Formats: sequence, C-alpha cells, structure tokens
Amino acid sequence: MINAFQHRYYYCVGFLIFATILTPIFAASFGAANIHFADVISVFKSLFTANGLAPNEVSPLNQRIVLELRLPRIVLAFVAGAGLSIAGSVLQTVTRNPLADPYLFGISSGASFGAVLVISLFSQSGLLSQWFDGVLQVSMLGDNAWWSWSMLSLPLGAFIGASLSVLIVVVLSGFGRSSQVERMLLSGVATSFLFGALTSLLLYFSSPQAAASVLFWSLGSFAKASWAQLWLPSLTVTISLLVMLAFKRQIMALQAGDESAHTLGVNVAKLRLSMLLLCSLITAVLVASCGGIGFVGLMIPHTVRLLFSGRQPMVLTAVVGGLFMVWIDVVARCLLTNQELPVGIITAALGSVFFLFILRHRR
Amino acid sequence: MSESVLDVNHLFWQVEGKTILADIHFNLPQGQMLGLIGPNGAGKSSLLRCLYRYILPSGGNIDLFGKDLTAYSPKALARTIAVVQQDTPHYFDLTTEQLVTMGLTPHKGLFDATTSDDKALIEQALSKVGLIKHAHQPYEQLSGGEKQRALIARAIVQQPQILILDEPTNHLDIRYQIQILELVASLGISVIASIHDLNLASAMCDKLLLLDKGKLIAKGHPTQVLTERQISDVFGVCCEVNSHPQHHKPLISYFYGYQTSNKEEINHD
Repeated sequence: MINAFQHRYYYCVGFLIFATILTPIFAASFGAANIHFADVISVFKSLFTANGLAPNEVSPLNQRIVLELRLPRIVLAFVAGAGLSIAGSVLQTVTRNPLADPYLFGISSGASFGAVLVISLFSQSGLLSQWFDGVLQVSMLGDNAWWSWSMLSLPLGAFIGASLSVLIVVVLSGFGRSSQVERMLLSGVATSFLFGALTSLLLYFSSPQAAASVLFWSLGSFAKASWAQLWLPSLTVTISLLVMLAFKRQIMALQAGDESAHTLGVNVAKLRLSMLLLCSLITAVLVASCGGIGFVGLMIPHTVRLLFSGRQPMVLTAVVGGLFMVWIDVVARCLLTNQELPVGIITAALGSVFFLFILRHRR
Repeated sequence: MSESVLDVNHLFWQVEGKTILADIHFNLPQGQMLGLIGPNGAGKSSLLRCLYRYILPSGGNIDLFGKDLTAYSPKALARTIAVVQQDTPHYFDLTTEQLVTMGLTPHKGLFDATTSDDKALIEQALSKVGLIKHAHQPYEQLSGGEKQRALIARAIVQQPQILILDEPTNHLDIRYQIQILELVASLGISVIASIHDLNLASAMCDKLLLLDKGKLIAKGHPTQVLTERQISDVFGVCCEVNSHPQHHKPLISYFYGYQTSNKEEINHD
C-alpha cells in the first residue's frame, strides 16, 4: 500500500515536471497567429545562446509575438494560477473551511469597487471626465499620457479597494480567540455585499462604455501582460510561497483545531491573521494585474488533495495551479476565432461545476 | 519526596463576575500521575486549560519547574507540556502519521525538514501505541480508542516533561480505558488527567484532586480522597468504599435507588 502510494506520487511529480517543461512551448505556439512548435523552440534556444542573436529561420514578427506577447502572458498566467492556488490552499487550512477561497473575504468585490470607481470617475465617458479632461489635456498631459495614466490607475484602484476590504475584515475579526474564524467568514461576507452594492450603485450611474470596460476587466484577462509589469506579481507570489513553506508546520497544526494548535506552541490568532494578510496581498496584486479570476483558488487545492491524499504539497499546488491557468489561457485565446474569451468565464464555469462535485462527494 | 514539576498557588479564574475556579493549590511531583476528579461543571477542564495557558487565570500563580508559566514562550511551553484533548475536531484530510508528525511542531525552526531521526521517533511512538499498521490510514477512519491513542502518540513525539489529558477515557470501552491509562503511566513522565470513573482514577493515579463548583475539596492519596462521606457530599450518591483485592486502593460500590423520586420513601423509613 505504501509502495503504490509512493509510486503514484512519483508518477504525478514526473508528469508535472514534464508538463512544466513542455507547456511554455505549446502555449506559445497557439493563438491568433499559429506559430510552429519548431519555431518556438528555436526562439527559446536563441534566448539561451551566448550571443543572444535571433535565429535566421524564424520571421522577426513571429519572434516578437513569442517573446513580447506570448511569453510574458504565459508567465503571468502561471504566476496568477500558482498564487491563487496557494492562497486558496492556505486559507482553507487556516480557516478550516473547505470552501474558503481567496475571494471569500470581500477581496474581489473590494477590488471591483476600486476599479469601477476609477473607471467611472476618470475615464473618457465618466462622471468627472469633462472637467478632468479639460484640465489635463490643456495642461501638460497629452492624449497618450492620459491613456497610460488610466491604464495604471485601474489596477491601482483595484489594489486600494482590495486592501480596504481586507482591512475591514481584519479589524472586525480581531484577536478574539474563540470565534476568530466565524467572525472572519461573516465579516468577509458582509464586506463582500457592501462593496457589491456600492459597485452596482456606481455602475447604475455610469455610462454603458464604462460598465462594459468594468465587466471586461472583472472577468479577468492576461492580454495586457508585459515584461515591465511582471515583476510585482512574480515577486509577491514567490515571497509568499517561501513564507508559507517556512510556516508549513504551524499551518498544518491549525488543521487540528485552535486549542490543539495552541498546545503545539502555535500563536493561533497571530498566525491566522498574518496568513490572511499574506493571501490578501497575493490576491490584491493579482486582481490588480489580471482582473478577477474566480474559483481557481478553490478548485486547485482540492484537486491536489484528491490526487495526493495525505500530503500537503504547497509547491505542487502552486505548479498545478500555474499550469492549469496557462492552459485555460490557451483555451481562452483559441476557442473563438478572432476573439478572446475572458479567462474568468472559463474558470468560473469549470469551477462551479467542480464546486457541486465537491459538495456531492463530501462526507 | 521527589521534586515538584508544577506548583499551583491560590489560582482563581473569574468570567463576567462568575467564579469558575477559586483558590486552587496543589503540586505535581516528578513522575507521578495526578487524577482530577469531580462532577460535571466542577471546573476540571478550566483548571487544565489554565495549566496549558489556553486561558489566563485572573489570580494566583502557576510555576512550571520553578519558573512562572507566563515566562515561557509558546514553543518552549509546548516542548514542556503536551496535551491530549477530550474532543478532537473534524480534520479534513490527515493520515494518522501526519497527525503524529504534528508533535514535532514546537521542536522545529522555520525551514527545518523532518529528519530520519524524527521519522524513527514517529515510528517508535506509533508502535508504542500499537498503531503502526494504521500509519497511512486517514485519521478520521480510526475508531474512538485508536484516535485517542494516535493523539497520545503525537504527545510522545512532542517529548514533553508533563502530559495533560482531558478525560482521555471518554467514549471508550473498559478495555481501552485501562489500556490508555496504563500506556500513559508507562511513559514515565508526570501526568495530570481528568477522569470521570472514580474506580479507574483510584486504581491508576498516585494522587487525586477532588474539585466541586470550582473549589478544591480534597487532595492526596486515593484513600484520603475517595471516602464515602466525600463522594456522597460532592457527587450526591451513596456508596461503600472497600479495599480493591489487587491494588488495595479504594474500590467504590454504588447503591442504587436513592435518587429523587425515591428520596421521600427513604426519609420515611
């Protein structure tokens, strides 16, 4: 029995390593412009050769598509999937709630509110636009600068909104020992509804164009990925993963209940609160850089637990989540011709079916 | 007289004006097994929770190896005292081995891996409680007695100097009740256990502590604590105390038919 278990584990790990190597090549070749695998490989090879010179046999256009459009997109999708998965996994453990996910604490509704606020106040057709446009365009900013500022302001607004909702949840859940989990979950739900209502109110008064851009943003997309903006999500997710690995035993101990964890030398209230903050940071950064992508944080940790029962493989969860997201993004790019589907739609559709599956099979 | 590992003096605990524990004082000598007895709501669990610092008493002091309990860091405390709780909450996905591995938590730094020595320790603990065959089985699938033994294995891995058990024999059949307590006694460390069954407490413990309504009624050797008078005062039952044929500590035989509805008839006699 032990051997069969170990074997399955090694098979799965082997498969994942294999998939991690092959995924970028395949994922980079699919899309609006189909690029042959061999071309992708030779572009990748050129990255690692000493002179860094581009290979002659691949057209410069395809090279640019692979290196400047698809590769950052793949990396962002991987980082987002990995980040949401580990955040979900840790939250499920520290709240002992199998249905917890990174959006549970009102993070996504807070982020949406921030984004909507930015769009409806500052965009071309928004409430303040006429006054603002006049001021800005007459003064030092040209049309181009204005556009780039609004590109930046949306993720910033989302981040501020997400942080605000987390702050509310943290203040409400407090350090009270006995009922921290319950307070956390309930205040999360309340915060969620509060920001949901505010968002609806803003959307009601804003223009259809603003509403459409909010909708597109809230469904999530990796289309705007660029090397310049990759460092923040990558760094956040990597550091968070390291912190979580460092506190792996303490997080595990929480599974056996607060009092039991206390007798194992864990400072329960502090650990739970810091993990909530860490997961919120991951989620807020990811929401700000690729919109709301639901259900990944719920689905992946459960799948990994089903595959490797009796283990808590944090790194594997991250890898599975990352690969899953890269392939979802490939599907989003290829499902419809000449059009991209928001990834949020696909993950939410898959996720809700999966959610029902979990509920049905829960003991 | 061996050295005392735990000294409790003038311990009080009040919640919202209600006194749960009042002026408790006792000590635990090295290597002894101390039984905590008393009716439901006497404050046994609260007293134990004070000892492992899950609740902070409102007065009095607890000294652990001559040092105040509040001076210990959470980790240092967990290396000194291990606790086996009464109710085990729902775990969503753990094997028995993983549960036992949790006992390493207070001994490990941030990135410390589980070494081969640790693995040997875990295996030893599992075989000591007779669960080595169940190591890879989900904890949830174990029977009540096996769960209790798994938690004791976790406490063994924790390598404490004091073991606290909150009603370890609850829900267990008589064979497991005896087995669990004998297992605990065989570890050779100082033990405090709250026990409902007075005969079991009498047989297994070196000393007993009788609590009622948060007050300490009696303490000492089972023969001093388990007297007919004290049992009837505290538990409200009639009994006869004899010497047990094997261990010669008190053996209690209860009398029946003395409760509420029959009380008047008895008074008329």
